[in-house]
Amino acid sequence: MLKEELLIVEDLWKFIDGKPVLKGITFDVSRGETKVILGPSGAGKSTLLRCINLLVVPDRGRIIFDGEDVLKRRDIHNVRSKMGFVFQHFNLFSHMTALENVMLGLVKVKKMPKHEAEKKAKEALMAVGIAEELWNRYPAQLSGGQQQRVAIARALAMEPKLILFDEPTSALDPELIWEVLNVMERLAKAKMTMIVVTHEIGFAMRVASEVMFLDDGMILERGPPEQVILNPCNERVKRFMDRMKYVYSLDTG
Amino acid sequence: MWQNFVQYVPIILSALSNTLILAFFSFGLATVLGIVMAFAEVFTSKTILIIVSWVARVLRGVPLILSIFLVFYGLPKLGLTLPPLYAAILGIAIVDAGYQEQIFRGAIKAVSNRQLEAAYSLGLTRASAFLYVVLPQAFRMALPSWINDFTIVLKDTSIAYAIGVVEMFTQAIHVAQVIMDYMWPLVFVALIYLAICYPLSMLSNYLHSKLKMMGMLGSGV
Repeated sequence: MLKEELLIVEDLWKFIDGKPVLKGITFDVSRGETKVILGPSGAGKSTLLRCINLLVVPDRGRIIFDGEDVLKRRDIHNVRSKMGFVFQHFNLFSHMTALENVMLGLVKVKKMPKHEAEKKAKEALMAVGIAEELWNRYPAQLSGGQQQRVAIARALAMEPKLILFDEPTSALDPELIWEVLNVMERLAKAKMTMIVVTHEIGFAMRVASEVMFLDDGMILERGPPEQVILNPCNERVKRFMDRMKYVYSLDTG
Repeated sequence: MWQNFVQYVPIILSALSNTLILAFFSFGLATVLGIVMAFAEVFTSKTILIIVSWVARVLRGVPLILSIFLVFYGLPKLGLTLPPLYAAILGIAIVDAGYQEQIFRGAIKAVSNRQLEAAYSLGLTRASAFLYVVLPQAFRMALPSWINDFTIVLKDTSIAYAIGVVEMFTQAIHVAQVIMDYMWPLVFVALIYLAICYPLSMLSNYLHSKLKMMGMLGSGV
């Protein structure tokens, strides 16, 4: 029987230029859960995500992923191959087509034969609604929404146990945000384990199992979305949410 | 008189092969040296980075004719006597290596850090990330400058005249001395250099705009 917690983060600290960016973050993520992290810019949200897959190495604390202490592993690339990451600016490989982008990890990390990888990559692209005529296009020939969906397919094809989303819609035109959120919502419904840093409180309301509000490197409040977004206890969180609700015209009655 | 000159055109053209040999071999050697230096700077230690970038700066600071003379007249003192053609190839390559180091190191550095992070996030090792993501992009980015550099080297080969290599420019001078008219032979070789360089520089521009279109000449963030 698998343990319920897929990820445990314990007392995580990160200093950048001597200043604390993360101040003892502790939380866990269960299998199949969608955790949404909200908070202002500069709160440490991106740094937290990057610490989880060690793109940024934390200074103190523990990260237990799938029963293993990640910080004690020397072969961090093996841990990363089980954790997808979706970036704000998509970060597709600009010299590769959409299909090649999705295939790279399968061929070079999972050592899959080419034809098998191609089949799998096509399935992943289909799953995020990228039609066949786009498979051989280069990232620059795709819209932002399409690029981000290819990036999600690239993460998805690796069959990760967890996907980290770092503001996946922040660099998109409003009209394109929908198509990306739609894909993410379907993933959440299919019980993919996800941690999503976003400003999309509507998305959080619909799919989050838990919302955490991060500011100044600390979790100020956490709980179900109805509580944190609609009825926060913390004053700082309340002020933030009032403004978000105004921006997104989320009528709370 | 240009009628006088026309009969010497085949003589000048017969030396074009030497000009091309000089250009291709010195450029090829400089490319190998430049890439080796750039890789040493990017992939090894900080100490080597400092040493290599210092060496490259010195190489770029050497006047070409001085480099060729050093190889041709200086190396025999160390027991290495090279025929003029080889000496010119080596002399040109040494200086050009300093420039090519800049082209390739700059291109590797210009690959966005975001591309590297994306590669790591898939579970690629550092070696694979460089092999499959960074270097392919770096070589594409280096291409326009690399082609431009070839046009510079091609024209630089004319300096081999100074140590008596019979290349196109040398031959033009010889013809000029025979017909006692410098104008026509010099204009003629200038046109030959141009005929080779112009299409290459068009190609370089085309590749540059193509890279731009692919979003590969970004901010390097």
